[in-house]
Amino acid sequence: MKKIVLAEDNSMLSMLLKFRLEKEGYTLLIAENGKETIELIEEHNPELILTDIMMPYISGLEVISHVRNKLNNQTPIIVFSASGQEEIVLKAFKLGATDFMSKPFSPNELVNRVKKILR
Amino acid sequence: MLDYNYFIENFEKSPLIIQVVWAFIMTIIFFIIIITIYLKYLRSFLRANEKLKNKIEKEYETLVINYLYAGDETDKISSEQQSIIEQLKSNIFETFRRNILISTLLKLSYEISGEMAESLHRLYIQTGLLDYSLSKLKSRKWNIIADGIRELTLFHVKEVQEQVKIHINHPKTEVRSAMQLYLVNLFHFEGLDFLNNITTPISEWDQIQLLEVLQLHTNQRVTSINLWLKSSNESVVFFALKLAKIYNQYGVKDELIALLDHKNIKIRIEVIHLLSYLNIIDVKTILKNKFKELTLEEQIAFFEMMENLYEMTDKPFVMEHILNTNFEIKFSALKILRNLNIEEFNRFKNLTVEPEFVRIVKYIESN
Repeated sequence: MKKIVLAEDNSMLSMLLKFRLEKEGYTLLIAENGKETIELIEEHNPELILTDIMMPYISGLEVISHVRNKLNNQTPIIVFSASGQEEIVLKAFKLGATDFMSKPFSPNELVNRVKKILR
Repeated sequence: MLDYNYFIENFEKSPLIIQVVWAFIMTIIFFIIIITIYLKYLRSFLRANEKLKNKIEKEYETLVINYLYAGDETDKISSEQQSIIEQLKSNIFETFRRNILISTLLKLSYEISGEMAESLHRLYIQTGLLDYSLSKLKSRKWNIIADGIRELTLFHVKEVQEQVKIHINHPKTEVRSAMQLYLVNLFHFEGLDFLNNITTPISEWDQIQLLEVLQLHTNQRVTSINLWLKSSNESVVFFALKLAKIYNQYGVKDELIALLDHKNIKIRIEVIHLLSYLNIIDVKTILKNKFKELTLEEQIAFFEMMENLYEMTDKPFVMEHILNTNFEIKFSALKILRNLNIEEFNRFKNLTVEPEFVRIVKYIESN
C-alpha cells in the first residue's frame, strides 16, 4: 500500500482525510507539527506528502525545504494554504512543492489529485 | 497548653498597637489560607473541565466524521446518520456540551468545502443547533446576538436573512458588523442592499472587512451603487466610493460630479481623488470654474488630479498658480508646466527669487 504523510494540526481534518484516503487504499501517517512530519518522512519514506503551510514548530515551507534540499528527495508534495497566503504558496513552489490546495477544500477533490499524482 | 496561655496573657498585656498588628496578621493569614484553598479548588475544577471538554470533543469529532461517511450518494439521511443525529440531539441541552459541538463543527467547517461541507451544514440544522442560534437573535444581551449571527454565517444559513436583518441599526457596532458580514458572506454583492436602509455609521474597519469578503467571491459583477452615492448616511457614501474605485465604476460619473457639492469636505476630497483615478477629464472644467470657491484642501486635491490628467489647454490655468501662496499648489503647477512645455518652464523659472519657489524649481529640475 502506498504511504502518504499528512501534516495537519487540525485533528478533525486529519481524521477526515485519513478515513477518506484509507478507503481509497492508501496508508496515512499523521503528524501534528513540522517536527513530527520530518521524523515520519525520514522513517517511512512516503510516496506522497500532504502538508499545511502553517504548522507549529516547523512550518510547511521548512518541511519542503528539508525534503528537497537536505534529504534530496523528489517525493511529490501537496501544500494546503488558507486564502491570503498566496505569497507563501509562491515560496512553496519555488522550494519545490508539486501542487497546492486552498482551504476550505473538497476532500473529494484532494482524493482526485492524490490519485492523479500516485497513478 | 501552657504556651497557648502564655501567648494569650502576653497578648492581653501588650499595648493596643501590638494587639492591632497581631489581629491584622491573623486576618491576613486567614485570608491567605482561604484564597489558597479556593485557588486549588479552581485549578482542579478547570483541569477537570478541560479534561472533560477534550473527552467530549473527541467523542463528537468521531461522531461527526462517522456521520459524514455514513451517508450514501443521495441527499437522503441514512439510518446510521439518523442515529448519530439523535445521539447528538440528546446531548445539546446543556450549554457546555452544545458549545463543544458547535466548536467541533466549526473546526471542520473552516477547512472543507463541497459535498461534505454541505453535509456538515445539514447536520447543524438537523441536530437542532440552528434553533439555538436563532434563539440567540432574540437575546437581550448584544454579545449573544452577535454570537448567534456569527454561527449562522459560518454555517451558511441563508433562509433566516429577514430575522438577521432586524438588527440592521442595532445600537451595538459588534451586532451590526456581524449582521453585515452575514449578508455579504452569504449573498455577496446582493447582500449589500442593507446599505439602502442603514442609518447607523459603518466603521472604517467594517468597510475593509466587507470589501475583503467581496473580493474573495468569484463573481465580481458589482450591483448598482448609484443609490448609495446619494445616501444621507455619510459612511455609506464613503463605502460606495471605495466600491467605485475597486470595481472601476465609470458609469456613476454623474453621481460623482454631484458629490462635488456634498456638505462634507472629506467626501468632496475623496470624490476628486476618485475622479482622478477614473480619469474622468470632463470634471476639470467644472472644478476650474469654481476653483476660487473651493477650500484649500480641495484645491490641493484638484491640483493632484491635474498632475494626472493635464492637457495643453490647461496651461493658462496652471500659469495662474505658479506663484500660488500654497506650497503644494505651487509645486504641482510648476511640475505640470514643466511636463507641458519645458521651454516655457525654463522661461518662468527665474520669475521670482522667493526661496520656496527657487527650491521647488531646483527640485523639479533634478527629478
